[in-house]
Amino acid sequence: MLILKYLFYIFVFPGFLFCFFAGLILAGIDRKIVARMQKRIGPPILQPFYDFFKLMGKETIIPNSAAKRTFIAAPVAGLISLVTISLFIPIFKFSAFNAVADVIVIIYLLTIPAVSLIIGGSSSGSPYAGVGISREMVSIVSYELPLIIALLAVGKKAGMAVNDGMVTFSLSKIVEYQSLKGPMLFHWSMIPAFLAMLFVIPCEVGSLPFDIAEAEVEICEGPLVEYSGFPLGIYKLNYALKIFIFSSLFVTLFLSGNGTGIILFDAAIQYVLCIIVVILSVSLIRAVTARLRVEQMLKFYWTYPTALSILSLILVWLGL
Amino acid sequence: MMQHYPVLSIIILFLGAFLNALFGGKSSIVRNIITFLSTGTSFLLILLLIKPIMLEGKVISYWMGNWIPVSDWAIGIGLEVDQLSLFFALLVSFTVFLSGIYSFKYMENDDTLDKYYVLYLMLSGGVMGFVLSGDIFNMFVMIEIFTFAAVALTAFRNYIEGALEAAFKYIVIGSIGSSFILAGTTLLYAQLHTLNMAQIAALMHKNYTPITLFSLGLMFTGYAVKSFIVPCHAAAPDAYMTAPSSISMLFSGMVNKAGVYGMIRLLYMLFQSINLPSMQILIIILGTITMFIGVTMALIQNDFKRLLAFHSISQIGYVITGIGLSTALGITGGLYHALNHTLFKGLLFLCAGAVFYSVGTTDLNKLGGLAKKMPHTALIFLIGAFSISGLPPFNGFVSKWLIYQSAYEEGFVIVTIIALLVSVLTLASFIKVTQSVFFGQLSKECENAKEVPIGMRIPMWIMAFMCFITGILPQYVTKYLITPAVSATLNIGKYIDAMLKDGYAEKYFKETVPVPNINYKLAGYWRPEYYLILFIIILLAFTLTVLAGGIDVNRRSIVSKEIEDYKYDTFYSGEKSEYSQVGGADLFWGLKYDFRKYFNFMHSAHSGVVNDYTLWIISTAAIVIAYIFLLVP
Repeated sequence: MLILKYLFYIFVFPGFLFCFFAGLILAGIDRKIVARMQKRIGPPILQPFYDFFKLMGKETIIPNSAAKRTFIAAPVAGLISLVTISLFIPIFKFSAFNAVADVIVIIYLLTIPAVSLIIGGSSSGSPYAGVGISREMVSIVSYELPLIIALLAVGKKAGMAVNDGMVTFSLSKIVEYQSLKGPMLFHWSMIPAFLAMLFVIPCEVGSLPFDIAEAEVEICEGPLVEYSGFPLGIYKLNYALKIFIFSSLFVTLFLSGNGTGIILFDAAIQYVLCIIVVILSVSLIRAVTARLRVEQMLKFYWTYPTALSILSLILVWLGL
Repeated sequence: MMQHYPVLSIIILFLGAFLNALFGGKSSIVRNIITFLSTGTSFLLILLLIKPIMLEGKVISYWMGNWIPVSDWAIGIGLEVDQLSLFFALLVSFTVFLSGIYSFKYMENDDTLDKYYVLYLMLSGGVMGFVLSGDIFNMFVMIEIFTFAAVALTAFRNYIEGALEAAFKYIVIGSIGSSFILAGTTLLYAQLHTLNMAQIAALMHKNYTPITLFSLGLMFTGYAVKSFIVPCHAAAPDAYMTAPSSISMLFSGMVNKAGVYGMIRLLYMLFQSINLPSMQILIIILGTITMFIGVTMALIQNDFKRLLAFHSISQIGYVITGIGLSTALGITGGLYHALNHTLFKGLLFLCAGAVFYSVGTTDLNKLGGLAKKMPHTALIFLIGAFSISGLPPFNGFVSKWLIYQSAYEEGFVIVTIIALLVSVLTLASFIKVTQSVFFGQLSKECENAKEVPIGMRIPMWIMAFMCFITGILPQYVTKYLITPAVSATLNIGKYIDAMLKDGYAEKYFKETVPVPNINYKLAGYWRPEYYLILFIIILLAFTLTVLAGGIDVNRRSIVSKEIEDYKYDTFYSGEKSEYSQVGGADLFWGLKYDFRKYFNFMHSAHSGVVNDYTLWIISTAAIVIAYIFLLVP
């Protein structure tokens, strides 16, 4: 029975199937909203599904110069780690694997999809992929610094109240804190960290203006240049899942709380909040900006978002 | 019988060295048998000690030549093996054993191999003697033995460009370090008239004179040089790069661990009552600088082994930071990371050696596309790279996580942030290596590369397996290896009493010696077996989906047969590949451009002039001594 329960968690909710639908619909909503902002009609909301299933049916071409097993395995590894993360993010008070939800684990697991993109791209042997992965690497280094500091600030804030003044890295403790004291966002010392995290999302998922790694017009989608068919479909799915999981993590960190107690409603509320976060941080910025250069991106992330999250950390440390 | 095991495990290594000097020139079989037997026996003896020491908590003391103390005053040379010594001895003997097996194939094309094995066993015996010794002068002697063996081994392949220069740097810098340690030892002897570590610890308890404090500064700097902490690191990259890979593995796996061990003994044993929290800040600053400078220097390297050397420096920074935190959790993290560093860095150096063996160069610009030629090495390298970058579920994650947590708990937020950032940069740097060595385009030099022989792959696989095991079973590793070592580090009363006699520590401490209570509350949870189960279930599901034929993965193309069809060529915008203008060689352009001032400064600072490096060490010594006198009450 227990095994069945865990299998349900892993494959249906909040694991694979839930993420699959939630992520692809979220990606569709994002595309639709951007199109409307740019006065286009835009694709139907279900377009990412059509894209995904079409790619699944296409022939997979693996170039001769590729390290073949790595080439196929890399996207799957990325997907696995994304599904794994989805199990650890609490949806209000519900979480599938309560004991292991830990912020630092999630930081590291979140780098695995990026690493899988890099490894897959580099295994293809294409020089365009070489350029792409170098940019992807710089983008990891860029967003990781503000992300870490913001997460530490959240951990400290929650830990001071519910963990005897010690820091906590446990996501369920962070949720517990929010159910006692209201969402993190309503504590004014956390607002800078909140803003910093809003900036981190588009870079983490790789959307404009931070999609330097996959710049289509310059380097032909960089790491994805040699991909086709099944693995390309998995990468597109990874992109959609990343949007969903990262916005969900964001909601858990800043907007969580008691919830209604009924999982279905909680999941729905979480999802609506995710959509709002994505519209704010991904769609809005994507609709109005053009792509940055590599060194501009690093400079941007290591100044403004970092400064904001440091400000939060200092405020929290002072007990405000 | 058991109390003879430590001394035997040291002597057998030296005996192997002498036998090799006598008979090793005859044939390679004799040489290999002698080396295998001596390192294997030494490893076995140390393994046999696990049960009594780690599990039952005994401390073995042994007086050489039965020169037992006369009226409570130590005269002879004593060996003392507590859990901490045994922990390091395990690292040493394990590394030595695997490196020996690896050497048999790896070194087969070199000449004067009898001398190689003599030096190799001297190096091993030196470090082994160092970690098992209970006598500070004996420790100094062992340092001299292993330093000089290390210098000679650095220059062993003297046909490699820069090998002699590296050896010269190492001998100058290493000798300065040794001199500091000798000077410190002498001063302590002049003050206390004994060289036995346990006795010094008892006599010096809360009884410091300016001279003993001065000696602390000297010895601390000396051990910092031995463990290559920034700014005393300058000899390391050259030495690691030019030494044969089997030796580079020993350097990073045990020689700089010897320095760490010396530092732990110095701070937690000899000067244990000096009020460690005040030394804490100095050590943590040094550790943090070490990890940051190590990793940033690694980013700009173009040689595989040199890059690994800088990473080695950076990882030692983590160990030092963990130890400097002086909480049980911090020391646990530090020692765990020391264990992990030995495993993954040894593994990575072996991979570099495998690449050198097959291709003949470790220049990153000349390598490329080796994953097709050497799939095993590529896979093993990826395991090592993920371990050092701390990706779960490999071992680097566990220890780094302990260090972040303990630093954050002690209020060193900046240290946690820098440590996390360094971890990301480490990952970035290893992606560069992966891309330019194993993936990417197949380079001209690599066209004739072959997978390395099985004799070299076995040690690599063992190391990779250990990386995985220590990653997924951290609670057992902690319970049976790390926690005993941590409690031994903090429980000095037991150490003193075991060496001299019961109640000795209490007599000099003039109070009951507190027995440390090791329990820590973790701020988060780390249960790797969950991840493992998850990964396996999900992987199974995907394999099933793929096998069921729901998705056509085009099995034909997984067969490595090359197909002549332009469809399977790489895309070059319609150009022929030789005319393609897409470069992308410099993976860190954005990073380097934004921090060009920093990188230019670091570049000019590492001038390659030994005088400069000497100056750095002397300045460090001055700063450490000034710090101790000004800030430590």
